[in-house]
Amino acid sequence: MTSISIPSAAEEGAQHAAPSLADPRRASWWVLTVFLTPALAVYVGLTAYPAFRTFYDSFFTIEGLDATFVGLDNYRALMSDETFWVSVRNTFIWSFIAPVLDVVTGLLLALALYAGVPAARFLRVAWFTPVLLSYVVVAILWMWIFNYDWGILNAMLRAVGLGALASSWLGDPNLALGALIVTHAWKWAGFNMVVCLAAIHSLPREVLEASELDNCGWGAKLRYVIVPMLRPTLLNLYILAFIGKMKIFDLVWIMTQGGPLWATETVSTYVYKRAFNWNTFDLGYPSAIASVWFVVVCAAVIILNRLLATRERLEY
Amino acid sequence: MTARRIGLAAAVAAAAIASAAPAFAQATQITMWSNWPDEPAKKDWVTTRVKDFEAANKQCSVKLSFIPKADLYTQAKSAVRTGQAPDIFYMEPDQPEFLAGGFLEPLDSYVDLAQYEDWSKPAWTSKGKVYGLPVEAYTVELYYNKDAVKKVGVDVPASFQLTQEQFTDLVKKGVAAGITPVSQGVGDRPFPGGLLLFESLLRKLGTEDYGKLLNGGLSFKDPRVVEVMTWMKGLVDAGAYPKSFSTLKLGESHFYFYNTPGALTFPDPSWFTGRAFAPPEGGGMPANFPLGIMQFPAMDKGACPDCKTLAVAGSFVMYSKSKNKDCAGALLKSMATVENGTKWMEQVSLQTGLKSDAAKINSPRKDYFAELNARNKNVKYFFGTPLLYYRAKCAETYTQVMNNAFPAGLLSVQEAAEKMDSACFKS
Repeated sequence: MTSISIPSAAEEGAQHAAPSLADPRRASWWVLTVFLTPALAVYVGLTAYPAFRTFYDSFFTIEGLDATFVGLDNYRALMSDETFWVSVRNTFIWSFIAPVLDVVTGLLLALALYAGVPAARFLRVAWFTPVLLSYVVVAILWMWIFNYDWGILNAMLRAVGLGALASSWLGDPNLALGALIVTHAWKWAGFNMVVCLAAIHSLPREVLEASELDNCGWGAKLRYVIVPMLRPTLLNLYILAFIGKMKIFDLVWIMTQGGPLWATETVSTYVYKRAFNWNTFDLGYPSAIASVWFVVVCAAVIILNRLLATRERLEY
Repeated sequence: MTARRIGLAAAVAAAAIASAAPAFAQATQITMWSNWPDEPAKKDWVTTRVKDFEAANKQCSVKLSFIPKADLYTQAKSAVRTGQAPDIFYMEPDQPEFLAGGFLEPLDSYVDLAQYEDWSKPAWTSKGKVYGLPVEAYTVELYYNKDAVKKVGVDVPASFQLTQEQFTDLVKKGVAAGITPVSQGVGDRPFPGGLLLFESLLRKLGTEDYGKLLNGGLSFKDPRVVEVMTWMKGLVDAGAYPKSFSTLKLGESHFYFYNTPGALTFPDPSWFTGRAFAPPEGGGMPANFPLGIMQFPAMDKGACPDCKTLAVAGSFVMYSKSKNKDCAGALLKSMATVENGTKWMEQVSLQTGLKSDAAKINSPRKDYFAELNARNKNVKYFFGTPLLYYRAKCAETYTQVMNNAFPAGLLSVQEAAEKMDSACFKS
C-alpha cells in the first residue's frame, strides 16, 4: 500500500520560508532589517560615529563644555608642531623597518622547526608563548632585562668583558627606539613563526621533492623555492605588522612614555598626551592628529599593497 | 470576604511602603574616588574619615574607591564631560583644567575654611572661591645618610646647609668612594630629576625672580640661571646620579637610597615618609637607618639661601554637577577639622593643609618630626613646584628636558636652556 501525504498549509509555509532565510537575495526587507540592525547599530555606534566625531571635533577647540569652531587652525598648528613630526618620524621608522625584523625572525624560527631542530615541540611552544603575554608583562620583563644596574643584558656584557658596551638602553635617545623595536619583535616573532610554519607545511611536496631531486641544497631551496612560494604570506605578515606598528601605543607608554627627549614618541602616544596629559580638556587638536594619521595609515596600506602585490601567480 | 482581605493586604502593603519610604529617601549614596591605593597610612586615614562620617550621618552612605593617580585623572577627565564623575574625587592643584572647565564646585558654603592653614588656601583659590580640601602638603627636602656622608669625609655644618662648593666636594668624594652621591630616578615620574636644580635656582634667584622663571617671565639664559645650570652640569658629569637614572622608578630610588646599593643623599618631597616608613619587609627604610635632613646647598651669591618650596598635593574636590551636594559637602566638612589634621600628621608623618595641633601628635616618628620641623624653622617658603606653574608644552618640555635629559647628561646647558625658553619663555 502506498500512502501519499499531503503537506499542511503550515508545513508549506515553512518550506517557503526556509529558502528565503537561507538566501538573502530572497529575504524580505523585514527579515534583513532584523538581522542587520544589531550589527549595524554596533558598527555605527562604536566605529562610524566615533570616527566621524573625531573628524568633526578636529575643527573645534573644546574647553570644558564649550566648543569653538576654529576651521583648519588645528591642522595648521599641526604642520608646525615639532613634536608631532618627531613622533611621525619615529612611527615611520618603527613601521617600515621593524616588520622586516618581525617577518625574518618568524620565518627563520619556522624554518628551524620545519628542519626538525632538536626539542622542536618544546621550542614551538616556547617561541609562541610571548604572543600570549600582555604588553604590560612584556614591557616589565624587558625593562628588567634592559636595567642598567642589574639587567641581564648588561650583566652578560660585563661577564664577557664587554662592560664598556653596557648602556642605559631605555635612557639613551640613540638606543631607546631600537630597544623598543627589539622588545616588540620578541613578542610577535612567535605569531609570525606559526603563520610561516603553516604556510611552509602547505607548500606542495612535489615541488620541494623535485628541487631535492635536482640536488638543490638547503640554501638554494630556501632562496629559489620556499621564499618565492611564501611571498604572499610574508607580504601579508609585513602589512599586518606595518598596520600594528603605525598604531603602537601600549609598549611605548609603559616602557618610556615617549622619552627620553621624545626619542620614542609615537603618534599614538602623542595623541594620548595631547588628549589627557596636556592640562586641557581640548579634544580638537588631538582629534586633528588622529584624523591626519587615519588618512596616512590608509594611504600607506594602499600604497604598500600596490607596491608589494605581485600580478604573477605561481603555478604548481 | 475575599475583597476585604485583598483590601486589607493592600492597606498593609501601602503602610509598609509608606513607613519604609523615609528610610529609602534618607539613604543617599555618594561616590568618592581617592588616590593612594598603595599607601596604607593615607588609605587608612581616608577610610576612617569616611566610616566616621557614615556612622554620624545615617542618611548618607559613601561608595569609596582607591584608584592610582594616573588612572584616576584619566577616568575623571572622561567622566566630568559626560556627567558621570563621582561626587567627590582626588585632585592636585597641578590639574587646573578641571577648575577652568567649570567642573569643580566651590566649597566655601560647605566647609569651614577656618580649618585650613592660611598658606594652603591659595592653592585652591580662584576668583575668591575655594575649590579643594587640601589634605596633603609637603616641603621639598634633601634627605641624607648621616653615616655615609661622614664616611666619605664630609661634615655637615650646624646650619645643616652645605655651600655650593661643599656640595660639589660631597659629590666628588662620593663618586671616589664608589657611593652614588644622589639617589634619583625619573622612570615613572615627571618631576624628581628637576628637584635639585630647581631648589638651587630658588635659592639663587629668590622667590620673586624664581616665580618669574616659573611663570615664563625670566629666561633660562639669564646669567644667574646659566650659572646654576652650569654648576649642576658639573655635578652630573662628575657622576652625581645613578647610571640607571632615566629608568629608575620613584619606589626604586627609595630602595636605592636606604638599601641597595645605597646613596649619600636623596632629594624628595616630604611625602618621602609614605614609602620610607612602610615596614622594612615591605620595602621601607631599615629601622636603624641613619636618616638625616639637610637644607639644599646655598648658592654662591644666592638671593635666598633660606628659601624652600612648599606645596599642596593630595586634595579632595566636589564635582559641580553632583546630584548629592549636601551629602558630599557634609563629608568634606567632616574631614576638614583640626582633629583630622592632627591624625593625618600622626598617621602619615607628613604635613597637611588642614590645621593641626602639634601638641597632640603622638607619633612613633617623633625624632623625624623634630628634625623636619627644625629644617623648616625660619625658612622662607615659595609656594608650588615647577609643574604647578608649567602647562601643556612647557610642562612636557620640563618633563623631557629638566626632569630627564639634562640631569641624565644628554644635553648641554645651552641646549637645555634653549629648549626650555622655546617652550616656556614669554618674551
